[in-house]
Amino acid sequence: MAVQEYYLPKSLEQALTLLADHGDTLLVMAGGTIAMPLINDGISMPEKVMGLRHAGLNTMQTGDGVVRFGATTTLTQLAQQDAVPLLREAVGHIGGWQIRNMGTLGGNLFAPPPAGDLAVALLALDTRLKLVSRRGERIVPLSEFYTGFMATALASGELVAEAQVPLPRGKTSYVKYGRKHANTPAIVTVATHVTTAADGTVREARIALNAVGPHPLRARRAEQCLMGAPLTPATIAEAARVAADECDPFTDAIATDWYRRRMVTVFVKRALESIAA
Amino acid sequence: MTSRIVAFNLNGRDVEVIVKPLTTLQAVLREQLHYTATKAGCRQGGCGTCTVLVDGEPMLSCILPVEDIAGRRVVTLEGITPAEGLHPIQQAFFDHYAIQCGYCSPGMIMVIKALLDRNPNPTREEVMDAIAGNVCRCTGYEPIIQAAQAAGRQLSAR
Repeated sequence: MAVQEYYLPKSLEQALTLLADHGDTLLVMAGGTIAMPLINDGISMPEKVMGLRHAGLNTMQTGDGVVRFGATTTLTQLAQQDAVPLLREAVGHIGGWQIRNMGTLGGNLFAPPPAGDLAVALLALDTRLKLVSRRGERIVPLSEFYTGFMATALASGELVAEAQVPLPRGKTSYVKYGRKHANTPAIVTVATHVTTAADGTVREARIALNAVGPHPLRARRAEQCLMGAPLTPATIAEAARVAADECDPFTDAIATDWYRRRMVTVFVKRALESIAA
Repeated sequence: MTSRIVAFNLNGRDVEVIVKPLTTLQAVLREQLHYTATKAGCRQGGCGTCTVLVDGEPMLSCILPVEDIAGRRVVTLEGITPAEGLHPIQQAFFDHYAIQCGYCSPGMIMVIKALLDRNPNPTREEVMDAIAGNVCRCTGYEPIIQAAQAAGRQLSAR
C-alpha cells in the first residue's frame, strides 16, 4: 500500500502531537537518507510518515561546557562547526556531499551498522540525548540509548530532540577503515577520547567502536586496561587486544566477522597511538 | 490519501504540481514535468546521478520528498544548459572524454557546478571530495576530475 499521509510539522510541539495521535504507526524520518531508500524499494511500507526537516530542530548552542545540537542538524552543518572537532572529523568520513547535506545527527543514531559513523563519535564524547514527548522530557546517555540491533530506549511518543555534547577535555581521535577512502561502509570505525594526568597516565578513556556490534558500542574492558596506566606501546597493544575480544562483529557484504575482529586490534591501536603521539 | 499542491522554483520558473504523499522530487521532475536530464539510478541515495541543486546545495532528488522543498529554488541540468551550445562544464566533459555511457553525467555536472560556484579553482583532492557521492562505472574518474578542473579554469578566466 502506498503512503497515505505525509506530515511535515513546523515545530517540535506539532511533531509531538502528531506522534501522540498516531502512535507507532507513524514512521519518523529527518533527512530521509535511511527511510527513503527502504520505502523506494518497498522494503518499508509505512502508511503514515512524518518528516522533521521543518520542525525547528536544526539548532546549535554552546554554553556551560556543553554544545547542544538539535536533532536535525545536518552532517554538513557539523562539518562547518569548530566547537567539537571530533564531530567535524567524523563527518569527513561519512557519505558524499549530497548525503552530508541531507543526513542528520538525529537520524544517524538510528542508522543500523555498519552505518552510524557519527554516532560512534558522539558515543566517545559521552553525549547525552534529550528525549521529548507530550508527557515531558528526559535525559538519557547515548551509551544507554542503544538496547539492541535497531532497538533503542526511545519510548512510544518520544522523539530525540537534542544531543548534548560535553566539550572534550582530553585528546580525541577518529579512525575509519573501509574498502574505499571515501563514501564507504565501515569495516570498523574507532572514536576515542582520552584524558591524561600531568605524569602521562590515563585518567579517563573512552573507546567507541562501530560496525563491530549490533550498534555503536563502548569497549569498556579495553578502557579499563588503560586507566591509571601510561600510553605505552604495551598498554595500547593490550587495550587493542581486549577491544577485539569484547566486541561482537558480524558478517556482511563488506567483511566477515573474523576479519572485522582482526581489524579492531589494528585500528584501536592506531587510534590510541595518535592520542599518544 | 491527501494529495497536495507544491510550489517551487525550477530553473528560474515557478512551477506547481499536485502530488501524492511522499512523492520524491525525482518523480516530479521526470514523470510529471518531463525534465528527464535528472536520471533515476539506484533510488537508494547511493549513486548520485539524481543530484540536483536545492538553493545551490547538491541533494539527491530520489530520496527527497518534494513537499520538503516547497518554495525553494531547484536547478537541474536543463537549468544550466544554454539554449545554444553547451555550458563550460558540459564542454569540458566533451573535450576531456569524461562522458562514456553518460548516465552519471547529469549528477556529476551538477555537483561540479556546485563546487565551482564555491571554488572556481579546486585542487584535484577537492574535486575528488566533491564527487565522492557520485558513482561512474565506465569512464573512470580521471577524465571527470580533469574536466572539472578545466571547466574551473575556463569559468574563472571569463
